[in-house]
Amino acid sequence: MLVVENLTKKFKDTIAVNNLSFTVVPGKIFGLLGPNGAGKTTTLRTILNIIKPTSGSISFDGNTITNEYYNLIGYLPEERGLYQRSKVIDILVYFASLKNLHKSDALTKADEWLKKLNVNQYRNKKIIELSKGNQQKIQLIAAIVHNPRLLILDEPFTGFDPINQQEVKELIHTFISEGKTIILSTHQMELAEKLCENILLINKGSEVKSGKLSEIKRKFGGNNVRLEFSGDPRIIDQMPEVLKFDSYNNYSEINLNDDVLPSKFLKQIIQKVDVKHFSVIEPTLNKIFIDLINENN
Amino acid sequence: MKKIWTIAKWEYLEKVKTKTFIVSIILTPIIIIAFSLLPTLLSDEEMPRVKTIGVIDTSGTYFNLLQAELEEFKIENQQPQYLLINLTERNKTTDQIKTSANNAVLKGRLEGYILLRFPDNDSLIAEYRSESIGNFRDVGRIESAINSVRIRKKLQQEGIQPELASFIQTKIELKHVKVEDDGVEGRQDFLITFFSSFIFILLLMMMVVYSGQMLVRSMLEERSNRLIEVLVSSSTPEELLAGKVIGLSSLGFTQIFIWFLIGLALAGSSLIPLGAFENILPMLIYFVLGFLFYTTLFVGIGSVVTTEQEAQQITTYISLILLLPVVIAMPAIQNPDFIVIKIFSYIPLTIPSVMILRLNISPVTTYEIIFTILIMLLSIIIMIKISAKIFRIGILSYGIKPTFKEIVSWINEK
Repeated sequence: MLVVENLTKKFKDTIAVNNLSFTVVPGKIFGLLGPNGAGKTTTLRTILNIIKPTSGSISFDGNTITNEYYNLIGYLPEERGLYQRSKVIDILVYFASLKNLHKSDALTKADEWLKKLNVNQYRNKKIIELSKGNQQKIQLIAAIVHNPRLLILDEPFTGFDPINQQEVKELIHTFISEGKTIILSTHQMELAEKLCENILLINKGSEVKSGKLSEIKRKFGGNNVRLEFSGDPRIIDQMPEVLKFDSYNNYSEINLNDDVLPSKFLKQIIQKVDVKHFSVIEPTLNKIFIDLINENN
Repeated sequence: MKKIWTIAKWEYLEKVKTKTFIVSIILTPIIIIAFSLLPTLLSDEEMPRVKTIGVIDTSGTYFNLLQAELEEFKIENQQPQYLLINLTERNKTTDQIKTSANNAVLKGRLEGYILLRFPDNDSLIAEYRSESIGNFRDVGRIESAINSVRIRKKLQQEGIQPELASFIQTKIELKHVKVEDDGVEGRQDFLITFFSSFIFILLLMMMVVYSGQMLVRSMLEERSNRLIEVLVSSSTPEELLAGKVIGLSSLGFTQIFIWFLIGLALAGSSLIPLGAFENILPMLIYFVLGFLFYTTLFVGIGSVVTTEQEAQQITTYISLILLLPVVIAMPAIQNPDFIVIKIFSYIPLTIPSVMILRLNISPVTTYEIIFTILIMLLSIIIMIKISAKIFRIGILSYGIKPTFKEIVSWINEK
């Protein structure tokens, strides 16, 4: 479990991270979200012990950060790059030995992962000879080859085609089932929505929203339903339960009063119009993100 | 410590395998050897040939003596190298003889001809006429032969004994020997000593340029592809710094060592005039300290530069500072107490090279050696601290080149 308390990082006159507190529990993906320049990278760098926080504390499984801690972390930085003229297997073994893995273990592990991600045939090729997607895979292996307990993934899906994205998603799920602690930092809200259980949304270095994604959605969702029907739309528009009625070509979106249960509303309209489709709309994380950040700005 | 070793090993092995390294290791000695052998090869090429040289001797007394004088130069099968032909003909004027001699030269029947004219009793005007005017060796030999003949003739005229005449004509060479600190005569020729220190300085410069560029380039690569983030989340920046410096320095030393072996194999032990390195211990200390100082300086630079060209330029300029002794060598020899040279012996950037030079051309007190070594040690420690700070922050700032003011603020940051 990673516990971050009152983390603040100042650079000269600017505050990059302002009093952030959050907890990342093992076995669940934690999403660190925010617009460009929100302070995500700075937050990740302090967790990685690359830069020292101005104030606040970070602990992992009850221990404050020491150099030993490096060996427990795997990090996939947002912008990728490897030694272009070095061999795939050499790079993997080098990164693994930097995490204190013995050379023979490093070789075994690297080969296992190369097979698992279907890039075994590039084992003895130079990075420069590989396609971009395959280079990304090698970098991903470099981040996980030492079997880290804390995995920090910064935009792990960029540069992958849909098939490879699926592979990476499956990989992340395996790690979760193994009880690893995972921080996912991304702009891609659809992916965050599918993967993350808990999120922290930051803007200008400060927390905007945090908590369980499902609860945030419920809270932000308002009381919206989607309806397809035939009949007179005015009947619905004039109902006291309806706060707002938007009609589109093929369907309508209805914003209900807070105290109205969607199921009760359905019972009422079934008697007035011919209902073809009825569903409760949850707002997308994307919409919540945009709304919250706009509000915050 | 283990991580420093891992990083050093990686830097060393990855670079040692590169084509650039292998090519430079093989190519550089080949170029050096080619350049040093080429002139000899080219001039030796014409050695076995007998050269026919005409002589127009209006006095009629020089020809035989000249022939005897030039007979000492032989080619392989004991044949004389220069075959002299007397072109003087009684019934022709000098101008006529010259015309036919010129013809013979142009047609290749003669290599060239010697024209001796005697305006009055004791004076002599000598000319060597040939198609090419670049043959310094032949011209030099003919000139000294003519001079020698002229003096011998005069001495004989004056009734001097032939033994005495040859004594008078023998030249004595002046040997220049350096007097050591304790008053004992040096065993070695001054020139050898002097050039040995030059070789040392050149080696230092080559190593600094080579390793420095490698270092700056490798840091630039890791910064531009963000690998640095993975590295500093696996080891401390100090470990990374130490590993890089050790790995790439070893690379430089490997290169020098291989060149040394190649040289040894080609030239045998004559390559190292052992006596020339009487000051080997202080020289080595200055060498290593100088190398460390410049390397840590390059680390600071590598954390700041943003493009390959910039890196190249700065490393080259800095390495030129090491060449300062070449510029100040002559004044330093003529006047070792020259104040500018004294000043340069106390500036960290120039201590190593200037002190290596001074050690070999004039007595340097032990006190001075210890003092300059202390300055070097102190500067290295300060430089490591400064570079490590620039490194820590600089490696994570991408794309934009920091201003000098910003760098100073990095250094001051706690």
